[in-house]
Amino acid sequence: MTATTAEQLLGREPIPVSKPVSQWGLAWRRLRRHKLAMLGLFILIVVVLVSAAAPIIAPYDYEEIDLRKPYAPLFTPGNEGRPVHILGTDALGRDIFSRLLYAGRYSLLVALITTALTVIVGTIIGAVAGISGGWVDTLLMRFADLLLTLPTLPLLLVLSSSLRQFVALQNFLGSQLSVVIIIFVLLIFGWMGLSRLVRGSVLSLREQDFIAATRALGGNQARIIFGHLIPNSLAPIIVAATLGFGGVIISESALSFLGFGVMPPTPTWGNMLNEARGAPLDYLFTQTLSPGLFIFVTVLAINFLGDGLRDALDPRLKL
Amino acid sequence: MTTFIIRRLIQSVVLLFFVSILIYVILNIVPGGPFDLLKLSNPRLGQSHIERLNALLDLDKPLLPGWYCPKEAGVPLPCRLDQGRYLRWLGKVVKGDMGQSWTLKPGTPVLELIWGRLGYTVLLMGLSTLLAIILAVPIGIFSAVKQYSVTDYIVTALAFFGQSMPTFWTGLMAIAIFSVALGWFPTGGVRAAGAEGDIIEALGRIFSLGRTYPELAGKELATILDGLHHVALPTLVLTYFNMAGWVRYTRTSMLEVLRQDYMRTARAKGLKERVVILKHGLRNALIPLITILALAIPGLFGGAIITETIFSWPGMGRLNIDAISVVDWPVVQGLLVIEAFLLIFSNLVADVMYAVVDPRIQYS
Repeated sequence: MTATTAEQLLGREPIPVSKPVSQWGLAWRRLRRHKLAMLGLFILIVVVLVSAAAPIIAPYDYEEIDLRKPYAPLFTPGNEGRPVHILGTDALGRDIFSRLLYAGRYSLLVALITTALTVIVGTIIGAVAGISGGWVDTLLMRFADLLLTLPTLPLLLVLSSSLRQFVALQNFLGSQLSVVIIIFVLLIFGWMGLSRLVRGSVLSLREQDFIAATRALGGNQARIIFGHLIPNSLAPIIVAATLGFGGVIISESALSFLGFGVMPPTPTWGNMLNEARGAPLDYLFTQTLSPGLFIFVTVLAINFLGDGLRDALDPRLKL
Repeated sequence: MTTFIIRRLIQSVVLLFFVSILIYVILNIVPGGPFDLLKLSNPRLGQSHIERLNALLDLDKPLLPGWYCPKEAGVPLPCRLDQGRYLRWLGKVVKGDMGQSWTLKPGTPVLELIWGRLGYTVLLMGLSTLLAIILAVPIGIFSAVKQYSVTDYIVTALAFFGQSMPTFWTGLMAIAIFSVALGWFPTGGVRAAGAEGDIIEALGRIFSLGRTYPELAGKELATILDGLHHVALPTLVLTYFNMAGWVRYTRTSMLEVLRQDYMRTARAKGLKERVVILKHGLRNALIPLITILALAIPGLFGGAIITETIFSWPGMGRLNIDAISVVDWPVVQGLLVIEAFLLIFSNLVADVMYAVVDPRIQYS
């Protein structure tokens, strides 16, 4: 005997039942309606792809010097059939466009690694503080307060210039020393916001009925943490991480711009601006425009995306 | 309320104590001292010389309280317990002595160096903060009231742009456009070449003259105008950057208020829209802005490292980065501790003012 549905009994067409949509599916739908966020996502993907494909796309090597052609303007033809210098050349006659693409790899990679580490460290510290409570919580959060009270930029400068003095580090890391140092110092001063966020979220979730229900049904601590607390805190973490990613790009550029971040010859958008600053005033505009524009457009795209994500992931916050 | 203030005050002092330890340790734990540069420029300087020089600056003592084993001409002397450099430094700081510069201006008291830069930073930061507030609050309110209008979209977009443009780029572009291409403003510095004094000295003279200043103010007018001409471009850059954040903050705060029940009540009572917005809306929306105002205090005195560097503006931020570049730790310690103090103080001010203004907040 086959099951008879109510519709068949009533002689009607079955009502189409839409597939159940998960919470993330709903968020994605809301995000797709957010035009600026989608624009941001698109720009971000383009910037990432173009930077990742730098060795294929870049017409020149980023270290190729042509001393006969310093500060060439936009669209200067290359020598003897070489590609055109779309964005001109810098003080040493290096092709700015190619350098920007390679710089993007370093700037984005540094920001990505820093953000990932910040999220991991911040989430762990915040979750530990929120779940343990008591003196562990007090200690961790007081420490976070302490770090938040320190003047960040000057201490970032101090740390990144001092850490370079450690001979052991120099021998161990070689030319990548400045990159590792900058990730490290940005991580040290970057995790507090996220851990406060996670802690707050854990504290409020802990008191919710569904946690009590899980406990009543015999769910152990691990199930509560990994099955409920962390997944439910994920939305604000994602938003904070996205906006933090933009912030890290600016911080890294600022440090490199001031000469305390990633050191040449490794190009980043920040240290390209530092070099542009030394250009004769007449060339300042062409030298400054493109590296800054890359930073600006990337960060703007991230901010758009982050804003859209906030609206999509937490409709209660929508203003 | 009094208990709340006293408790927060005690907490702040404790926090400041720990912050000062952290700052001192971070600066002093790394290798490299004030004589590194000297050693580079003078290869005949041996390790024993450096050690003697370090001893003169107290650098041979332990950082935190511990054993100190002095050496006299290479011969070790009996060890003794030492209170450590940190406590000695702290003791002096409490008495208002921040020590002397190592390398930037050797021997000059740190406070004297800071005092010489403070005026420039207060002028630059004061002007840009004031301008940003005057512009950001009305724009943010207007944008919120006219939500989803064309103006709102333009304002929001410009605010987004401002938040995504780092000041080191806007600064350089401003120089390239307004100074180099258009020639409207100088590219940096405080005064025109050949000028006798600068704006801070002129203002100082006017204020110190007391009652006779109207006659003398005229003489200083040219100097002051020249100074304002120089400060204009960095002010503009900082104003735009600060405005961007504040406009969005004001707008969000106002939107939040506009949705409240008391706004509907006010309208239902038949009040004019203008009264509803300005009296019931604005006054409530301004409460969160207290935080912004209070948190602007540290920047007012701490300066802006990047902008001051780009525009060669001799303020506190510039002093800070110059001191860091030459490993002048006494100066950096002084600046960082002052900044941390201001940050803690401004947080305290924000909390207390919040409690005073908003009766909904209960402090136990």
